[in-house]
Amino acid sequence: MLIQIILLAVIALIVLRLAVKLRSEELSVKQFCGWLAIWILAAIAVIRPDLTVSLANLVGIGRGSDLVVYSALIFLFYFIFRLLLRLEKIEKNLTKVVREEALKEYDRQQ
Amino acid sequence: MKPIAIIPAFNEAAKISGVVAGIRNNAQAIGDILVVDDGSGDDTANQARSAGALVLRHKLNRGQGAALKTGIEFASRSGYGTAVFFDADGQMAPEEIGSLLSKLAQGYDVVLGSRNLGRAVDMPPLKRVIKLAALVFTRLTTGLRITDTHIGFQAWKMPALARIRLDQDRMAHASQILSEIARKKLKYAEVPVTISYDAYSIKKGQSGWNAFKILWDLLIK
Repeated sequence: MLIQIILLAVIALIVLRLAVKLRSEELSVKQFCGWLAIWILAAIAVIRPDLTVSLANLVGIGRGSDLVVYSALIFLFYFIFRLLLRLEKIEKNLTKVVREEALKEYDRQQ
Repeated sequence: MKPIAIIPAFNEAAKISGVVAGIRNNAQAIGDILVVDDGSGDDTANQARSAGALVLRHKLNRGQGAALKTGIEFASRSGYGTAVFFDADGQMAPEEIGSLLSKLAQGYDVVLGSRNLGRAVDMPPLKRVIKLAALVFTRLTTGLRITDTHIGFQAWKMPALARIRLDQDRMAHASQILSEIARKKLKYAEVPVTISYDAYSIKKGQSGWNAFKILWDLLIK
């Protein structure tokens, strides 16, 4: 089906980007493997949707596509949570830097 | 060393010199007045300096809690024994600093100003309702027997201040201070203070919505 070809092309592009980022060391090997695993799973789900159906039935969900959506949602929520924590840490560090700078500047003026 | 007054200020050029002068003239107990300019885009720092305050400048706006903490760090490394927190928008009455300090001298770690023991002049009704909700919330979560919350008018002994954790950069710092008072079992007292609400302070101050933002900061972060 057409949709399968489009999705596979998109996934291939994403994996290509990952590989480029790995080579330029923007991604660590560990991060690369994690993302690669996720996209390989996605590719499998695209090529063999019947597999997601049997997996969905196994956990008591009727349709394979529902299972995919549910797992994607859980993954996204977790990811946003991680991002929020990370952001908060950056904010706190920023405050520390600004504070130290303010105190140092005061000392310089004395 | 005489007590230090710590005033976090963000874009308060219009009011700050009056506030500094007010403390200078009406609170003889105060030694130094420290204004922490929290990344203001206006002339707050210069105004404060010419009014005779010590000035620390945040290069970026980090929030009232962050500015207060910067002031606290300055006070503790400079060896002050007592610190008074004061607002920059002219809502507080500097002559009442004396009553906080004399209460503190009776052996408390911290003395909090209370609008409900004192007088809140022209507080908008919606604000009253939100304050009441905040008070119930604070009493339930901290167990403190206080009559007012989220008031920036406080006097502290420095050793007690050094013991509490204060890492909420934005407005949730006020709640954090209260829960830290409870957690560290500090000796606290309240004294009545007068807070006036004019058009300026209402515009500059907390909108009701911020209550939800504070709750978010407290629960999520």
